[in-house]
Amino acid sequence: VTKDVYEEFLRITGFEDEIPAYLPEWKKASAKLGLTPEDVSYATEERIPEHFDTSLRGVRKALCSTIKETIDLTKASDYKKQGIKIVNGILPAISVFYYALKMTAPDKVYVAFPDIFLTQVLNGLFHKLNPYLEEAERTGIPYGCRHCALNKTRYAARRMNIIPSPDISWIWGFICDEGPKTDELINCHHDPDWKTYITRIPHDQPLGTVEDENISRIEYLASQMKDGFEYVQKEIGIKVTEEKIAEVQSNWRRYTAKVAELNRLMVSEPIPLGGLDGRIFTDVLNAPYNTGFEPMEEALDIIITEVKQRVAEKKGAFPEGTPKLMSMTISLAMPWVTKIFEENGVALLFRETGVASPKQLTPLSFQDPYMAAAEAWLRYTTHVNPGYRAELIIEKTKTLDMDGIVFGFFDFDRWIGSDHRLLAKMVEKRTNIPVFYLEGDAFDDRDYSPEALRTRIESICEIIKMKCGRN
Amino acid sequence: MMTIVDEVVQLSRTYPEQLRNKKTEGLKLVGYTGRYVPEELIHASGAVPYLLCRGGEAEPLDAVLPYMLRFMSPFARAQIGYHLLGMDPVLPMLDLIIAQCDDCHMSRLADLFEYFELPTHRIGVPADWKKTIARDYYYKGIIELKEKLETITGNTITDERLRKSVTSLNKVRELLTKISLLRKIHPPALGGYDFIRLTHCSFTIEPDEMVTHLEKIYGQLREEASSSHKKSPRILLAGHVVGIGDYVVLKLIEDVGGVIVGEALDEGMRHHLWQVPTEGDIIDQLVETYYLTRTPPSIFQPAWKERAAYLKQLTDELNIDGVIWYQLTFEEIYDMESSFVAKVMAEKKIPFLKLESSYEYAREAMGPLTTRVESFIESLKTRGGK
Repeated sequence: VTKDVYEEFLRITGFEDEIPAYLPEWKKASAKLGLTPEDVSYATEERIPEHFDTSLRGVRKALCSTIKETIDLTKASDYKKQGIKIVNGILPAISVFYYALKMTAPDKVYVAFPDIFLTQVLNGLFHKLNPYLEEAERTGIPYGCRHCALNKTRYAARRMNIIPSPDISWIWGFICDEGPKTDELINCHHDPDWKTYITRIPHDQPLGTVEDENISRIEYLASQMKDGFEYVQKEIGIKVTEEKIAEVQSNWRRYTAKVAELNRLMVSEPIPLGGLDGRIFTDVLNAPYNTGFEPMEEALDIIITEVKQRVAEKKGAFPEGTPKLMSMTISLAMPWVTKIFEENGVALLFRETGVASPKQLTPLSFQDPYMAAAEAWLRYTTHVNPGYRAELIIEKTKTLDMDGIVFGFFDFDRWIGSDHRLLAKMVEKRTNIPVFYLEGDAFDDRDYSPEALRTRIESICEIIKMKCGRN
Repeated sequence: MMTIVDEVVQLSRTYPEQLRNKKTEGLKLVGYTGRYVPEELIHASGAVPYLLCRGGEAEPLDAVLPYMLRFMSPFARAQIGYHLLGMDPVLPMLDLIIAQCDDCHMSRLADLFEYFELPTHRIGVPADWKKTIARDYYYKGIIELKEKLETITGNTITDERLRKSVTSLNKVRELLTKISLLRKIHPPALGGYDFIRLTHCSFTIEPDEMVTHLEKIYGQLREEASSSHKKSPRILLAGHVVGIGDYVVLKLIEDVGGVIVGEALDEGMRHHLWQVPTEGDIIDQLVETYYLTRTPPSIFQPAWKERAAYLKQLTDELNIDGVIWYQLTFEEIYDMESSFVAKVMAEKKIPFLKLESSYEYAREAMGPLTTRVESFIESLKTRGGK
C-alpha cells in the first residue's frame, strides 16, 4: 500500500476540501473499528466503485455524511467522559424524538442507533462485519438460532468497547422482540451499567385493520411514545418542548417529500439512477445522525439536481426498458445483491419502506406531536398487520409502476420478515404483478453468499424479462 | 403396567370426542393459545375451553412453510400445522379461538388463523408489564374478551359465575401443587414425565372431575414410597413449553436415569403455584394474578433477573442436581436467555444443559440427543448426585 489509502478513501467519499481536517480522525476511527489499511484500500478501489456511482457528487456527499457519522460514533466514549449524555436507540424507532433531543441540546447530548450504522458501514463498504458477529456468537447470542445481525453487532460493539454504556438506551419494541431483549441481555450478561427504557405495543390487530385510523390504537401508541420520551428527558436532564418536536417533524416531512421526488425521477426512462445510489439517502430518516440531518439533505438536493439533468439528457444508468423491481430491502450491507440483479438486466430499484405511500404523503390528522407521531408510525407498512400492509404495498407498486416485487431477505426478523410469504400470496392474488420470495439476510451474508443466491436471482431476472417482453 | 397417571391420560384422550358431543348439545367451543387467556372466563361463560398446545411432531411444521418464515417457533407453527394437514379434529369445530398476542411467533399464528378464516379474537399482552398503561391495556383486553364470550354464548358472565369458576380452578391448582411438592422428598413419588402429562390433562378434563382424579392420585402417591428414582439425579426442567404430545425428551431424561422434580416452563403448564384470590373485584384479581403476580415469561421485560432468581430459589428448595433448559429451535428470546441462565447456574455451580428441539425425533436425530442427555445425567451421578 503505497498511496495514503485513507486519504484516497476520503476523496472517493466526497470529503473534498475537508480531507486534511478529517484525515487524522478517520485513521483513528477506522483503527478503533478494526479496519486495516487493506480494508480501507479494498473499499476505495473495489467495494465502493463497484456498487456506487461515485461520478455523482450527490452520491459522494451522501457517503461523506455517512463516514462523518461513523467517525463520530467512535468518539462516543470520549463524549461520555466529557459529560455529554449518550442516548441510544435501535431500528425501527421514530428518529424524530432523538433529533429533537439533539436540536434542543446539541452540546449536551449524543444520539445514535449504533446497530444499523455499524452494520451497514462495516459490511456495506468494507465487508468486515464478521468479527463483530463472531464475537457476539462466542459470548451470548448463539449462531444457530438465526438471530439478528443488528442485535449481534450492538452487543459485540459494547463488548469490544466500540460503544460506551449509554445514559439511556430507549428501545422501541413496537415491531421486534429481540431488539429490546438484546438490551436485557447486555445488562444481565455483560454490562450492568447498560440502562434501558422500553416502549412496546402488542401485535393484536385483525388482518386488514386500517391501523392509522384506529383512534384507540393511535392513542395507546402516542401514550407509549410520550411515556418513553418523558422518561428519557428526565433521565438525562434535558427538556424538549413540543414545538421542537413539531419542528423536527416538519423537517422530516420535508425530507420525505424530497425522497419521494427522487423516487419519481428514478422511474424515468431510461432509469437514471441505480437502487443502491438512491437507497443511501433514506437512512437519515430512520436513524438519527448525531452529526445532523443537514449534510444528508444537502447531498439529497445535489442528487436530485443531478438526476434531473440525466433525465433531461435521456442519460440512463440502465438501458431503456429495463424491468424495475421493488424489494423489501435494498441492502446496503450486502450491496452485491442489487448488483447481481443489475448484471442480469433488471433494476432492483426501491426498498419498499423507502417509498412513501400516497397516504404517507398526505397531512396528518393530529396537531399533538405524539398523536401525530403515532399516526405517522401506523402508516408504515412494516408496523401494521399483514392485511393492511399488503394494501399499502400494492398502492406503492402501482404508484411507481413496478414490474415485480421481491419479498424476503429478512429471515432473521420474526416480525418484519415472518409475514413475507403470506404477503406474497396476498399481493399476488390481488395484482398481476409477479411476486418472488428469496430467503436471505439483509445484513449478514455468511449463509447467503453471492454464490448461494446468484442462480435464484438469475432465474427471477429471466422470468421478469420474459413477462416484460424483454428477452 | 398402567399407572394411576396413565389412567387419567387415557381419559383425556377422548377429549375431541367429548367436544364433538358438547357441540352437538349446543355448547360453544372456545380454543385459546396461552397463559394470558384466563380459562376461568371461558368456563364462566358456559363455553367449553380447549387449549391449543399440541407439539412433538415435525410434519405439521412443514405444512405452515408456504405461509410463514421457516425460522419461527415450532410450537406456534404446530398450532395450525395439524389443521393444514387435515389432522386436527378440534380446530374446525371451534366457535372461537382466543389468540394470545404476546410475542411475534404467537401474533403471526393469529394472522394465520385469520387468513384461514378461523373465528379469531386477539388479546394483546404488552411485554412492558411494569408500566401502568401496559397493565391497563391487558385489563381492557380482558373486558373485551368477556364481552366477546358473552356474545357468542348468549350468557352473562356474572361475578358469581366467575368466582365459582375461579374457585373450581383454584382447587385444581391447589392439588397440582400438593402433588408437585411430593417431589421435594427423595426419591420422589413421581417424575416430571408424569407430572407434566397430568397438568396437560387438567386442561382437557373438566375441573370438578379433575379434582376427583387429583385427590385420588395425591392420596395414593402420598401413601406409596417410590423406589424407582432412588439414585436418580434431581432435574429442574426450565424453558418455554412442553406441548401436549411432546414427551420424548421428558421420557428420555427419566429413562436414562434422571428424574424431573420441578418445572419452570412458560407455556403448556397450569401455573398451579398462583391461586387467584376470590375476594374483591374478581376481574381485577384475574388481571393481577395472570399479568402481574406470576413469574414473568421470558418475553416480558424486565424479566430475566427475576426469572433467574426464581430458578435459583427452585434449585435450593427442590435440592436440584442439574438444570435442563428445554427450548424449541428458532425461539430467539429463549435462546438468548439461555446464555444468561447458563451463566447464573455456573456461578451457583449447578450443572446446566441446553436442549433444543425441532420436534424431529427420527432415529437419526435421537442418537445425538440421547448421547447428550445420557452424558449429562452420568456426569451428575459422578458428581455426587442422588
